[in-house]
Amino acid sequence: MGAMRVVIAEDAAVLRELLVQMLDDRGYEVCAAVPDAEALRTAVAEHRPDVAIVDIRMPPTHTDEGLRAAIALRGEHPATGVLLFSQYVETKYATELLAGGSAGVGYLLKDRVANIAEFTAALDRVAAGGTALDPEVVTQLAGASRRTDDLATLTARERDVLGLMAEGRSNAAIAAALHVSAGTVEKHVASLFGKLGLPASEDMNRRVLAVLRFLRD
Amino acid sequence: MRETGPAGVGGLAGERRPGDGELTERAGAAPAAHPGAEHGIIDAMPAGSSAPAAPSPTGLLTEVLRAPLNRRAWREAAYLLITGLTGLTGAVLLLVLLALGFGFVLSLLGAVLGLLLTVAGLGLARAEGRLHRRLAATLLGERIPAPRAPGARADAGLFGRLDHRLRDVSGWRQVGYVLAKLPLSLVGLYAVQWWVIGLINLTAPVRWGLFGQGDGGGILLMTPLPAGGSPTAHSFTGTLLGIPMGLVTLLIAPWFTRAVALVDRRLMRALLGPGSLAQRVRDLEETRALAVDDSVALLRRVERDLHDGAQVRLVALALGLDMVKSKLADESTLDLDAVRRLVDGAHHNATEALTELRDLARGIHPPVLDEGLAHALETLTARAPVPVQLTVDVSERPSPAIESIAYFCTAELLTNVIKHSGAARATVSAVTRPDGTLRLQIGDDGHGGAEAGTGSGLTGLLQRVRTVDGTLEIRSPQGGPTMITVDLPPRA
Repeated sequence: MGAMRVVIAEDAAVLRELLVQMLDDRGYEVCAAVPDAEALRTAVAEHRPDVAIVDIRMPPTHTDEGLRAAIALRGEHPATGVLLFSQYVETKYATELLAGGSAGVGYLLKDRVANIAEFTAALDRVAAGGTALDPEVVTQLAGASRRTDDLATLTARERDVLGLMAEGRSNAAIAAALHVSAGTVEKHVASLFGKLGLPASEDMNRRVLAVLRFLRD
Repeated sequence: MRETGPAGVGGLAGERRPGDGELTERAGAAPAAHPGAEHGIIDAMPAGSSAPAAPSPTGLLTEVLRAPLNRRAWREAAYLLITGLTGLTGAVLLLVLLALGFGFVLSLLGAVLGLLLTVAGLGLARAEGRLHRRLAATLLGERIPAPRAPGARADAGLFGRLDHRLRDVSGWRQVGYVLAKLPLSLVGLYAVQWWVIGLINLTAPVRWGLFGQGDGGGILLMTPLPAGGSPTAHSFTGTLLGIPMGLVTLLIAPWFTRAVALVDRRLMRALLGPGSLAQRVRDLEETRALAVDDSVALLRRVERDLHDGAQVRLVALALGLDMVKSKLADESTLDLDAVRRLVDGAHHNATEALTELRDLARGIHPPVLDEGLAHALETLTARAPVPVQLTVDVSERPSPAIESIAYFCTAELLTNVIKHSGAARATVSAVTRPDGTLRLQIGDDGHGGAEAGTGSGLTGLLQRVRTVDGTLEIRSPQGGPTMITVDLPPRA
C-alpha cells in the first residue's frame, strides 16, 4: 500500500502550508491544498484521496461552508474520509456530520494539530473508515445529555473509557491512553455497556454510534 | 441617563440643527438671512430681528413707516405668494388622492389600489412638506429640521411595506399641514394682494400721466377690502387720491403678510418638524436599535479578526513548534537547516500574532484616549500619510463614550480622506462650542463628491453619531473641497 493520500482545504495560507509540510514530513502524500469549499470538491473528485482535512469556516461567507462541503463529500465519495477542523467545536455541527453515520468522519479542534502524533492518529483512523471526535465534542454531548442519571451510575474510570470510546478510539488506543491493559479496558467496556443498556458489538463504528446516540439523547 | 421629561425633550428638539437626523448636503446653502437663523430659532415677532434696541416711540414710528421697505417683509410676501400657489396645488392634489384612496379602500374592491393611492398621498405630503421647509428656510429663515424619513423595509413583503408606510405618523402630520395650509394659502394670497393693490393705487397718477384715462372709463382706485365699492378717478387730481390709498394699503400689507407668515411658521413647527414626544420616542427606539446593532457588529468584527488573525498564527506557531520537537527527537537524522526554518517560521508567527493582537486591542479602545481627545487625535493625525493640520480646543472633557465616538469618527473620516479624496492635505478640528457641543470638523482639499451610501462608511458613521443625538453634515461639492462636520453632545 502506498502513502496515504490527503486533500487539505484551509483558507489561512500560513496554516495550510505548514500542514502540507508537516504531512509531507510524515510520509503522507498531499494531492492538493485548496483555500475554499468549491475547490475542495473539485480536488476530491479529481484525486479521490483517502481523507480530506476540511476547515469549517471558509470563504465566501465564513460560516459553515466546510461542513456543507463535508456532508456533500460523504454522499459523493463515501470512500474518502472527512476530518473537519475548526477553532471552535459545535455540538450541532457534530450532530449534522454524524447524521450520515460515523464511518470515516472526524471533527477536531484546530488546536489538536499542535500535537502531531495525536492528530495524525486521528487522521489515520478517519482514513481507515473510523471516527475521530474531539474530546470537547464528547464533553458537550455528555453535558447536554438528558441521561445524566444513567451516567451517574458509572464509575469515574468507566466514564473515562466512555469518553475515549465516543472520540472513536479502539480498545487498544483507550488502554494506551489510560495506561492500563487491554483486558482491563474490555472489562470496563462490558460493565458500562451493561449499566447503560447498550447493545454489545464488536464493530467499532456501531459501538461508537451507540455511545454517541446514547449521549445525544 | 438623560432626563426624558417633556421639558428636556422640548429643549432638545428646539436646539436641533437643520439636517438633524438626515444627511443634508448644503453645498452653496442658502445664506442665513437673519442672526439666530443658524439654530433654527428665530424671533418670529415683527421688528424683532432688525431692531435689537429697546423700542422708543419714535423708533416704533420709524419701524411702522419703514415696514414696507423691509427686505424681510418682501421675503415674507414672496414666501406667501409662492407657497400660496404650491400650497393650493398640493392640497387639491392631496385631497383628490386621499378621496380616491379612501373611496377605493371603502369599496373593498381595489382596496390595495386605495392603499397605494393613500401611500402616494403621504408621499406627496412629504414632498410638499420638504418644499415648504426649504422655502421657509430660504425666505423666512425658519429652519425646521426634517422629520425622520419612514425608512425602507426591504425585508417585509408588499403588505408589510404598505403597513409600515401607512403607520408613518410624521407623514400623516405633513398631510395635516398640507390640508391646514389650504385655507392659509387663500388668506396668504389675499394678503399678497394688499401689496399689489397698494402698488397699483400708488402708481395711479403716473399711469394717468403716461396713458391718459384709457378707454374713458376713468382709472379705478382699488381697495383690498372685500366689502364697499372702489372709487374711480376721472381726473388727474382724482388719481392723486390713489397715493394716500396706496400708502395706507402698503403700510398695512407687511403686517398682514407677517401675521399670516407667523401662523404658517407655527403650523410648520407643529406639523412639519420631527415634533412630538411620540416622535422622539420612536427616534430613540431607532437609535437604540442602531446602537445595539453597532455593538454586535463590533463584537462580530473582533471575533472575526481574532479567528482569521491571531488564532491562526498561534495554531501555526504551536504546530511549528511540535514539528521542531519531533525533528529534535531523532538526533541521528537531525536536519539543522530544516529546524532553523521551522523556528524562523514559528518566530514570525509569534510576532505576527502579537502585532495583530495589538492592532485589535487598539481598535477596540486606543489607550491614548484615556489621556484625552487632544492626545489621541495628535497620535492619530501624526500617523496619517498626508499632512494634517490639527486644532483642538476642548475646554471640558466630554464623557468617555463621546470621546470614543469622536475619536473613531475622526479615524474613519481621515481614512476616507486618504482612501477616496485624493487630497494633498487635511484639517482636523475638535472644538467645544459655547453651548457645550463638541464640534469635529474634518476637511480636505480633495476632489469632493463624498456622499453617504457609496461605500464610504458615512452611513455607518451617521448611525453611530445618531445614537447619542449627534449630527453629521457633509459638504462635499464635486471638485471639492470637502468639509464634514460632526456635532456631539458633551454627555451620552
